[in-house]
Amino acid sequence: MSGWTTEKGGGTVPFRNPGFAGNTGEFELTEDQVRGLDYVGARPPEGGHPGGVPTYPYMLVEKEPKAPLFDGAHLERYEKIRSRFPDAQGALLPVLNLAQELRGHISPATMREVAGLLGLSEAYVRGVATFYTMYNKRAVGRFLIQVCTNISCNLCGGDEVLAAFLDELGIELGATTDDGMFTVTEVECLAACGTPTAVQINARYFENVTPKSVSQILERLRAEVE
Amino acid sequence: MAFPYTHPSETPVLSRGWGDPATRTIEGWKALGGYEGLRKALGMTREEVIGEVKASGLRGRGGAGFPTGVKWSFMPKEKRGPHYLLCNADESEPGTFKDREILRWTPHQLIEGCLIGAYAMQAEHVYIYCRGEFFEATQVIARAVEEAYAAGYIGEDILGSGVTVDITVFAGAGAYICGEETALMNSLEGRRGLPRVKPPFPAAIGLFGMPTTINNVETLSSIPHIVKHGGEWYRQWGTEKSPGTKLFCVSGHVRRPGNYELPLGFPMKELIHDVCGGMREGRSLKAVIPGGSSVPILSAEECESCTLDYEGVIQAGSMLGCASVIVMDDSTNIVKQVRRMVDFYAHESCGQCTPCREGTQWLARILRRIEEGKGTEEDLETLVSLGHQMTGTTICVLSDSAAAPVESSIMKFRDDYLSLIRRGEKVGVA
Ligand SMILES: Cc1cc2nc3c(=O)[nH]c(=O)nc-3n(C[C@H](O)[C@H](O)[C@H](O)COP(=O)(O)O)c2cc1C
Ligand code: SF4
Ligand code: FES
Repeated sequence: MSGWTTEKGGGTVPFRNPGFAGNTGEFELTEDQVRGLDYVGARPPEGGHPGGVPTYPYMLVEKEPKAPLFDGAHLERYEKIRSRFPDAQGALLPVLNLAQELRGHISPATMREVAGLLGLSEAYVRGVATFYTMYNKRAVGRFLIQVCTNISCNLCGGDEVLAAFLDELGIELGATTDDGMFTVTEVECLAACGTPTAVQINARYFENVTPKSVSQILERLRAEVE
Repeated sequence: MAFPYTHPSETPVLSRGWGDPATRTIEGWKALGGYEGLRKALGMTREEVIGEVKASGLRGRGGAGFPTGVKWSFMPKEKRGPHYLLCNADESEPGTFKDREILRWTPHQLIEGCLIGAYAMQAEHVYIYCRGEFFEATQVIARAVEEAYAAGYIGEDILGSGVTVDITVFAGAGAYICGEETALMNSLEGRRGLPRVKPPFPAAIGLFGMPTTINNVETLSSIPHIVKHGGEWYRQWGTEKSPGTKLFCVSGHVRRPGNYELPLGFPMKELIHDVCGGMREGRSLKAVIPGGSSVPILSAEECESCTLDYEGVIQAGSMLGCASVIVMDDSTNIVKQVRRMVDFYAHESCGQCTPCREGTQWLARILRRIEEGKGTEEDLETLVSLGHQMTGTTICVLSDSAAAPVESSIMKFRDDYLSLIRRGEKVGVA
């Protein structure tokens, strides 16, 4: 049955695109990190955060700003992603994800490069990139702290947790600290409503966060960079 | 066994093995009887598999509650091109947190369900669309997919049956609207996540223009058990019209929030006061949103006799949705919480339809005015009439969802609004 093709945009598209995004390096954590209990956060029934869990090495790749968007291992990843989809357009989101992982945000220049790589128009890529909230349109701090203030968290003090982060860091909502370390924003429901307040820091969830645990979390993040 | 809390009333079918890291591996899943459903399905005809799902009466767990077997039978039997099965793991409805747990504790359960579904509907390819924020869950499911490929459960000639199915894990990039089925397809095609006008329905023209079926994570995860034990077996739980077990996500002001797997038709009162440990010290129940933020709010009296099945909740005046029970005690400022929900919809509206794009903003602005003590009683009438204009007039139901909590809360908690408005009047006089 593997001879099917799809007529699309004037070309024929093979239907079979074997493999999965999982082995293109988007999710490269060690076995320990994936399987270990610590990794998912053994959540103490009485609340409070267990601590001791690192954030992902997300957005931390040190790169020459002038280097091409993807090269070396990243170019390989790009090509793998591209092969998972029947057409170039389908690969746009995963490619933007990869670009953000390298650059920390998606600037107009990055959009242009992605458009060039995939053979899409710049305006099209811009339209898509600005639609999704996870693409940072401007540079953010090394740690992007997103506090859920949606209903379930809000009932249990989400607003207070957000205020505690802003207070502790002495910044306004959406701003970055002078040392470039922290940006704090509000976020919509993270699907962790049973362990309020949920806070996402880069790729990691912190659950059961209370205003009291805020300074402890910040300390840990600072220690991680040293 | 649910996680992190459990209760003797639970009926762990889907949540068996949660909390045990071993369950995530293929060996761990097989130790719980995993992949037997797939083996059995491959020995049945496609019609028999769909028949079994129909017999179980399983209804979609993504919100609408449409019978899954019937939905599957809409897929064309004659193939003119590839068929697709999509797994909706874009869980972002405020109050809902069950799919994430399935993804990270029992990924193989979901994979098995996807494979059976793909076989029944002759789909060669399954995309699992995870919301972008789920880095961890996406990682776990991607690992499991890799493992299942290596073990011969996914790919060409599955278990020597001659059937070929591929599974791709896809990560979104942050947009609630991508949970809507046609928006999800657009997103997978690399577009903005804009819902499509229906018809054509996805079973005719879906992903990449091909026949497509989309199911929620919990729906697909129920399939292996149904196929393995038979549709009748599944009916030992629940009611005639809402059979089976369901994950209830309870959040808000209860002592033990969390996921509890219970038979459908479970009394709401018992869920809140017994299973979840009741209200906090010295507090009493004020309101409950029984199905995630998109459904009408219920007052404490309405909860008294409400049973948690699709029909029972409708009878009480709301909808079961995805069974995300948000509990509020008497310390809750209803106006503030409704305003926060509306802010969410205003933020997430994709902007295609005027009633939704403008309406959500107007609702939010008026509610904020009331919250700040600058509202008038006429504002309440304006809100209700706006809600009416936003209902049933748009491409998808996000617009209706935004209006539902506003209208119902004005009806049931008018005094909360009035006290804020009166306070405002006093401020105005002084
Ligand atoms: C605005 C909107 C958001 C939705 N979000 C989700 C979601 O996050 N997860 C989900 O499974 N279904 C969601 N749905 C429902 C899906 O459109 C679809 O009905 C469901 O995935 C079908 O699966 P089921 O038949 O297994 O329930 C949403 C619907 C709408 C209108
Ligand atoms: S109702 Fe709202 S979210 Fe849905 S298609 Fe229209 S504008 Fe978009
Ligand atoms: S409301 Fe905060 S995670 Fe759902």
